[in-house]
Amino acid sequence: MAGIRELRGRIKSVGNIKQITRAMEMVATTKLRRFQDRAVASRPYAEEITALVGRLSGVLGEEVGEMPLFREGAGDKVAMLLVSSDRGLCGAYNSNAFRVLEAWVRASGLEKDQIDFFVYGRRGYQYLSKRGYNIARFIVEPPLEEIDFNNAATTTKAVIDAFLSGEYREAKILFTTFKSMVRYEPEVVPFLPISAATLAPTGRTQEEAEDEAENLSGDIILEPDAEAIFESLVPRYLETRVYSALLESLTSEYASRRFSMKNATDAASDMQAALKMVYNRKRQEGITMDLLDIVGGVEAQR
Amino acid sequence: MAATLTLRVITPESVALDEQVQSVRLPGLDGSLGILPRHAHMIAGLETGILLYTDASGRRKPLFVNGGFAEVQGGTVRVITRAGELAEEIDEERARAAEKRARERLDAVRRDNLSDADVLKAELAMRRAIMRLRARSYLD
Repeated sequence: MAGIRELRGRIKSVGNIKQITRAMEMVATTKLRRFQDRAVASRPYAEEITALVGRLSGVLGEEVGEMPLFREGAGDKVAMLLVSSDRGLCGAYNSNAFRVLEAWVRASGLEKDQIDFFVYGRRGYQYLSKRGYNIARFIVEPPLEEIDFNNAATTTKAVIDAFLSGEYREAKILFTTFKSMVRYEPEVVPFLPISAATLAPTGRTQEEAEDEAENLSGDIILEPDAEAIFESLVPRYLETRVYSALLESLTSEYASRRFSMKNATDAASDMQAALKMVYNRKRQEGITMDLLDIVGGVEAQR
Repeated sequence: MAATLTLRVITPESVALDEQVQSVRLPGLDGSLGILPRHAHMIAGLETGILLYTDASGRRKPLFVNGGFAEVQGGTVRVITRAGELAEEIDEERARAAEKRARERLDAVRRDNLSDADVLKAELAMRRAIMRLRARSYLD
């Protein structure tokens, strides 16, 4: 009757794992909701800033293209802000991001030492350092989960400063876009220099935007003046880009974690059912054998 | 009825305020800017300071804003700022502690002859703390 005791042990341990994964699923669900709420709350701010930048760049016209943040840097390196997670057990969230990263590196034709990374998330740090990439900055404080706007602003400043040092040609962000509860796609998006195309409100061509701006510029009061406002506005705009990239990645991370924990819980249920079946069959077999033994014994004594 | 303005204060965390008001006084970079209904289209840079508005019932209310921008357009004043806090939401003790910290830091950076950037940073922190306290004191 080998195995019946082992089976009982396995059923129990699968049950324990199931409890853990279910708890983790619930934690991920609440956190997911929290990040989603924050992402929604930050949207009006980002929209206003973006619209303002678009409008002012229309007012300023050609001058905008001359500003350092709107021109390709003099260097030949690329700065990359990578958003990954601190912890594992979140499905293919990180490995998808790394796959997109490798594809991008290959396509860009850059050498490893031509890319400097700014990294969010321990997983990303481990991955990059193992493969010999340059890490310019690993952002650990505060931990990813407690990220706030101020931290995004500090990171933005670090990237802007790096870009303005002239060492880089451009700066990019790799983050995971949140499409739906079950779809999240890592993407590499340009960050610096700012291209006029990213500023134009969607659904309008550049020319239309300029026309509108021209109509406005005549009777719009700018206090103190367009250049001064624009100069302080652009960093704010970039901050919102980083902040929303972070929030979106975190939302994706928790959606991914929730999904994989749900799969694990379901798999544990299936396994438990299968084991229980085998266990019951064995148990019954055992009883039948015992009965046969007894009956046989009684028969023999007659 | 007299024309009113819509005042919206938008921060990265939330829409801090969305209200019908009679007038607004903005802390502009070059001094205070008074906004009344039917103001011309304007975009302004803001200083860290106090935004005062008169609400629909004629009461004056202070609001702390941490820099940012304001756009006045067609009867709406949109204030886009890193932080917008109503005076009654400000934690006085925390602000006071922040002021003390900022003062100490400012002394330290001046004494140690640190870079201008550090001095500036300390001064800004100081200004934020003082302005928060001042917004708060309007209530008393």
